[in-house]
Amino acid sequence: MSNFEKVGDGYSLDLTLDEAQILINLVEQLLELLGEGDFFHHYDSSDPLAQLLAMPSEIVTPDDPVLLRLLPNAYTDPEAASDFRRYTEPQLRGAKQKNLRLVREQLTVLVDENLGGVIEDIEADVWLKALNDLRIALSIRLEISETSFETFELLLDEDPQKPVYAVYFWLGWLQENLLELLL
Amino acid sequence: MVKTLPKDKVSISELVDRPWITIVWDDPVNLMNYVTHVLIKLFGFSKERAHELMMQVHNEGRAVVSSGTREEMERDVQRLHEHGLWATLQRDDKI
Repeated sequence: MSNFEKVGDGYSLDLTLDEAQILINLVEQLLELLGEGDFFHHYDSSDPLAQLLAMPSEIVTPDDPVLLRLLPNAYTDPEAASDFRRYTEPQLRGAKQKNLRLVREQLTVLVDENLGGVIEDIEADVWLKALNDLRIALSIRLEISETSFETFELLLDEDPQKPVYAVYFWLGWLQENLLELLL
Repeated sequence: MVKTLPKDKVSISELVDRPWITIVWDDPVNLMNYVTHVLIKLFGFSKERAHELMMQVHNEGRAVVSSGTREEMERDVQRLHEHGLWATLQRDDKI
């Protein structure tokens, strides 16, 4: 069973190879959805200078429901929301990409060696936010509601949705596991 | 007929600079412990106060977590969004 553990001032995470592969898979999909190119850039996306060239000419409210939940409107008034988005969305997107990239880097070690094992030097804050964003993304695709755990338990084993629900609830368990060490 | 506002409720600066508030909304995804953790981290609430606000979000669907100038609330909302909480800002309805 996978587990976060407190080690000195930091944390470690024990994952099986299957778990590391599932996680890296989701992390990479979410990076792609957030518009990450397949290259590593050296500028910080929140730097106003970088946004001179890299910022898309028009930033609009996302159509994709996952993106709309990860990059939500800050105002209920649509005009105020889109004004605010124009100035702040690149930074928000950049912050989320940065967490996911760090998590991806740490998972890569296990996945590339084709082994399960312990990841050291876990930054709790980065992992909490990344795990949370993954859960949010899956929750939109699965249309998660307050009663979804009951729905999951009633699914037949051969239902193709079952493994996806299982991953979603496993991520919640993993996040809770880390939170219990912090609170 | 016009009713005057009770004197202790009104000052010109309050009417002009009516504060803005940040609201956190309930969603079926964020873990209760996570919301409490984020509120402590971002706003420096005690564990008890953060728990109380988290329960208010859970039970009533929303809770006001901060108030201040528009710029301050925009910063709070942005930080909450970075943590995946669903938050908006607006002018305080109450005088």
